Amino acid sequence: MTVSAIEFSRIGPPKLRPYAMRCEDCGTLHAWWEKFHCYDCNSTKLSELELEGGGELTNYTVVYYPPRDFLGQEPYVVGHIKMDEGVVMPAPVVDVAVDDVEIGTRVKSTLRRMKLGHEGDIYYSQKFIVDDAPSPEKPVAAKKKPSARKKARKKK
Amino acid sequence: MASILRYGAYLPRPRIPVKEIHSFYGKPGRPRARTLATPALDEDSLTMAYEAAAEALGPKGSATTVIAVTQSPPFGMRKMSSTLAEALGLAATPYDVGGHPGALLDAFNLGAAIVDGGGGDVLVVASDYVVSHDERAADMLSAGAAAAFLLSTEGCCELGASARASDEVYDVWRLGLEPEPRYRLEVLSAAYGAAAKGALTALEATTGTPTSTYKAVCPSQPHPSVLRALGRMVSKGALDATSFVGEIGNVGSASVGIALALGLDSVARKGQKLLALSYGSGEGIAQALEVTNKPRAIGVADRLAGTEISMGTFYRWTRGRQVEPH
Amino acid sequence: MQMRVGVLGIGKTPHKIQHEKGLRDLIVEAGRGAMDDAGVEPEDVQALYIGNAASTGFNYENSVGLMSSHHLGLVPAAAVRVEAACGTGAWALHLGCAAILSGLYDTVMVMGAEKMNDLATVEGTSIIAQAADAKEEYFSGLTFPSGVALSARKYMEVYGLTEEDLAHVSVKNHHYGARNPYAHLRFECTVDDVMNSAVVADPLKLYEVCPMTDASSALVLCREEILRDQPDKPQVFVTATQMATGTWYAVSDTMQDAYDLLNKPATRAYEMAGITPDDIDVAEIYNSFAIQEPFGIEALGFAEQGEGWKGAKDGSTWIDGKVAVNMSGGLLCKGHPLGATGATQAVDIVEQLRGTAPEEIQRADARNGISACRGGPGAVGALHIYQRLEG
Repeated sequence: MTVSAIEFSRIGPPKLRPYAMRCEDCGTLHAWWEKFHCYDCNSTKLSELELEGGGELTNYTVVYYPPRDFLGQEPYVVGHIKMDEGVVMPAPVVDVAVDDVEIGTRVKSTLRRMKLGHEGDIYYSQKFIVDDAPSPEKPVAAKKKPSARKKARKKK
Repeated sequence: MASILRYGAYLPRPRIPVKEIHSFYGKPGRPRARTLATPALDEDSLTMAYEAAAEALGPKGSATTVIAVTQSPPFGMRKMSSTLAEALGLAATPYDVGGHPGALLDAFNLGAAIVDGGGGDVLVVASDYVVSHDERAADMLSAGAAAAFLLSTEGCCELGASARASDEVYDVWRLGLEPEPRYRLEVLSAAYGAAAKGALTALEATTGTPTSTYKAVCPSQPHPSVLRALGRMVSKGALDATSFVGEIGNVGSASVGIALALGLDSVARKGQKLLALSYGSGEGIAQALEVTNKPRAIGVADRLAGTEISMGTFYRWTRGRQVEPH
Repeated sequence: MQMRVGVLGIGKTPHKIQHEKGLRDLIVEAGRGAMDDAGVEPEDVQALYIGNAASTGFNYENSVGLMSSHHLGLVPAAAVRVEAACGTGAWALHLGCAAILSGLYDTVMVMGAEKMNDLATVEGTSIIAQAADAKEEYFSGLTFPSGVALSARKYMEVYGLTEEDLAHVSVKNHHYGARNPYAHLRFECTVDDVMNSAVVADPLKLYEVCPMTDASSALVLCREEILRDQPDKPQVFVTATQMATGTWYAVSDTMQDAYDLLNKPATRAYEMAGITPDDIDVAEIYNSFAIQEPFGIEALGFAEQGEGWKGAKDGSTWIDGKVAVNMSGGLLCKGHPLGATGATQAVDIVEQLRGTAPEEIQRADARNGISACRGGPGAVGALHIYQRLEG
């Protein structure tokens, strides 16, 4: 469960925004860790795609015995969230009573601390909160835009 | 003239009843606030700032500049504004502004200058998680929250004149970036009163508008007793819509922001004048505002109530924030 | 190809928390036991495949192959450590079989060993999580129990399984675990006991998850002729070995992926051995979490998809049922010493086929057995078929 500060620098600030990996050949969206290989068409060309942040719970569990980095937060809900763009992501659903989630609950992503690294590096990532707004009527066309950091780097 | 275009606020949901802290530590006297808003273990000033800022920006909002105000940043040597901008997906120039609990009003000055200078929209966010241990949590009423304001050339509420009063005094301070504030209870009320009065008087002199004209005053409020003292300096009822410390506690530099958000929520009509007021750590700032379009209320008053947590949970969360892993 | 790898000897340690024994103590106990049972000396063993999943984490040591070879007296024979998450022990078995079938070796030893209890549980759980993607998927607050709990909830949604129905799996496993002297947990339980036990990760409860255990198991394998030449020894052979990988991430793992992980190699294994699911008398099916037993029963062809849970309730997977599943008490009672499990399953099936298991857990006249092991969140599938084949 440990990432060194060097690895942190290599992978960049992890998941300050929700994103998926998009296969450039067949267009299928995969979870963020699928950087190397598309399971649908075997392509090796995948690129980051930022997501809108909205989705729906397709499955969930409640963790009572957490890993070390989550001690003190139990019991907490971890769900499989099908994002409006189609890709499924695992993430905690917070700020809700464990009895108040069910399959189909609409959620939206937000920023939370995931863990404190052993070198004092803080990892932020996406958790989800229940979204009371009505769900979108049609599937969201996944937009493809470079991250703000990439834009800023390009400016320089 | 720079205006508040949209605003947002975030109050963490957990609430620790202050009487639980009293009863655990055997404190005499009655609780001065009913409950304190306590951020959960996976929250901090950055995540709360993100929530408030996301609400202020809305689905299509954007800004060229992000100014983050906090006295409890996640890192002592990294800008919260730059990580915040990244998390919001903004390619914005980041600035951290701080130094005292009223720094949000400093940030308004700077933000307004950028807007007025043609620099584009400015997102100003104040977020704090005041942490005190043991019975001091019940004295300081330590709590956490965030408020965010998107400044633009036009909006719902114009930023008018502002004025300051400074004094060298040890009321509330910290050495460096140590985690808990130090305070002198016997000095606090007088110091707060002097700073507030000084700022209000200076603003009157600048604008020619008597303080009693403002029907809604949005002050920092670290403690209900200070709020009562302030009540005597402003017109009757001016604090009715903007008082919250008894329900959520002292939220540090976010305090004046929450008060302003409540004030904007309560606006009845165009033309209304609001007064934002901060004080503490020896500096008082008074900021005049005028409503140009009735803002769409975000309902901060409905968020003052939360979910109660036990003393055990509160102790674990404030003592052992994110236990260092293997 | 017809596969006949002889099982010359078996050995295992008790499965429990053993603070007085270290990893090397367990390895020597099981390894010497298997060699003694086989009637071989260390110099007869030409290669050692020792499965150990996480000694760098649990025991702060890495070179398990070399250490085992040294303390078992196997030097200068070949020795290597095998790792495939929870499927490690089965992988050691697979490599040992492949080694014999290749003709390169006549006699090899395959082992599994894990010493999990030197660290506190919360540390151990974090180490186990490394068998999944602890940096990405489990960064999200998941643990192994909660990852599997997600598949349990999905199964319940799709097939209408209730928590009470699932509890019967634990009841059955505990019935036999109580009667297995080598098991870690040796008490019976009722459906109510299971339902009232603490929730570990909703909907899985304490009695539906396995304990952390220290153990080692070993088998001495040989070319067919070597075992045939000793007709007084039980003529038990490994007649199929088929392995597979699946997706490493539970979130991208659909119910079909989970089924295919075991079903595909199982289908090939039955073909390899020339038998069908109906021929199987006794099965060891990986069940570190109760829901995995129905998954395995379905994938191995003992029940239709969605009906694998019924056998524990209606008796058809008990000792006299259609196929006796997990007469050892399964991983629920034996625990899951990561590297040892796959090897222990093999040892337990061989005992059944030899007729030497304790009477109360011995399936009458068992001739054909199967073991299904899996690893990681759903990434390793390992199928072995064993048969007693008189001359």
